[in-house]
Amino acid sequence: MDKVRLLLSLITIAIFAIPILGMLLAYQDNLPGLVIPSEINEIADDLLGGDGANGSGLKPPTVVGQPQYDEASRTFSVTFQYENTFPIDITIKSLSGNIECVDHGFLLGNASLSDSVNIGAGETAIMTALGTWTEEAIDHFDTSHRGEDLVDVVLVDLALDFSGLQIQIDQRLMEESMQVPNPVS
Amino acid sequence: MNAILAKINWFALAGGATTIMVIVVSLFYPWWQLTVGDNLVKVDASPVNMNFGFLDTSFTIPFIWALNVVSILTLLASGIAMLVYSIIPRKPYSKHLLGFGYKKPLYTLLFFVIGLIAATVICQTVLNFNVPLMGSTTSTLPIPFVSGTTLRVLLSAGFQWSFWLAVVAAGLCIAARLYHKNVAPTPSATTVP
Repeated sequence: MDKVRLLLSLITIAIFAIPILGMLLAYQDNLPGLVIPSEINEIADDLLGGDGANGSGLKPPTVVGQPQYDEASRTFSVTFQYENTFPIDITIKSLSGNIECVDHGFLLGNASLSDSVNIGAGETAIMTALGTWTEEAIDHFDTSHRGEDLVDVVLVDLALDFSGLQIQIDQRLMEESMQVPNPVS
Repeated sequence: MNAILAKINWFALAGGATTIMVIVVSLFYPWWQLTVGDNLVKVDASPVNMNFGFLDTSFTIPFIWALNVVSILTLLASGIAMLVYSIIPRKPYSKHLLGFGYKKPLYTLLFFVIGLIAATVICQTVLNFNVPLMGSTTSTLPIPFVSGTTLRVLLSAGFQWSFWLAVVAAGLCIAARLYHKNVAPTPSATTVP
C-alpha cells in the first residue's frame, strides 16, 4: 500500500516537474522567450513601428481634391485617401466626421462613408464620404460668409471603424483645412 | 454477474471516462473564448490548450504550453486512476487511487477559473482595459505614443460547452468519492472480549 502511495506521489511530482524543467532548459539562453514569443515582438513592431502619425502604424486619412456640392439635394461629397500602414488587410466598415467652419468653429454638418471599403496591407484606397449641410449651416453661410465663393472648413471628430476597431480622433489631427463651395453665394 | 456489477463504482467509471473525454475535446474546443473586434484577436483558453490568434497569425506562449502539458498529464493520470479504481474499489490500495484521481479535475477547473479571473482583474487594474469573463463589452484600448486618439473595441467572451463538460467530470469524480463507502464499506471495528 505504501508502495502504491509512493508511486502515485512520484507520478505527481514527475508530471509537474518534467514539462516545466524541460521548457526551462530549452529556453535557458532566452528566458524572456518563455513568456514573450517572437511572434508577439513581430506583431508589435509591425503595429507600433510603422511610419504613421507619431511613430505608430495609425495614419489619419487625407482629403483629396475639393469637396463637391449639389445644390438641388444640398449634399456634398468629400474624397479621402487612406493608406493602410498595417501589415494586414483591413475593412473600413464606417467613417464619419463633423465639418466645422475654420473661421468661426461653427458646426456645418457631418459626412459619412457610403459603403465599406477593403484595403490590402500597405495599399492606399480612395473613399468618398457624403453629407448634408444643416439648416443652421445654410444660415451661417448666408450671414457670415455672404459674398465668398469658397469657405474654409475642417474635418473634426473623425470616427473610423475597421475590422471591429473603432478609432475616434478627438483632436484636429487632420489639421489641413479644405475649401468648400458656398451654397448661398 | 450482479455481484460483480455491484462492486463497480459507477461514478468513478463515468468520472474517469469523462475526464479522458475532456482532454480529447479540449484539444479542439476551448473552455473559454475571447474575441476582439471582428476576429481581430482571438484567445482560445483551456488548461489543455491555450492559443492566441491575431488575424491569420496563431501563436502559443512556451511557458503556458508547458503548463498545458502538465494539465494534460494530470488529467490523464487522474482519468486512468479513476478507471482502474472504479472496477476494483475494494482492493487495499484502491482508496489511494481514488484519492489520487478524484481531486485533480476539480483542482484543474479551479486553477483555470482563478487564473482567468486574475488575468481579467490584472488587465483592468494594470492596463485599465476591461475584459469580460462572459458577455460583450466595448473597451477603450491604451495607445502608446498617440495622443488625442481613442481606440475602442468590442470584446466578446464566454465559456464554451467543453468547460461545462469539465464541470461534469469534476462533479462525477467528487460523487465517486462520496459513493466509495457504498461499494467498499469500512469494516466495523470489532472489540476483543
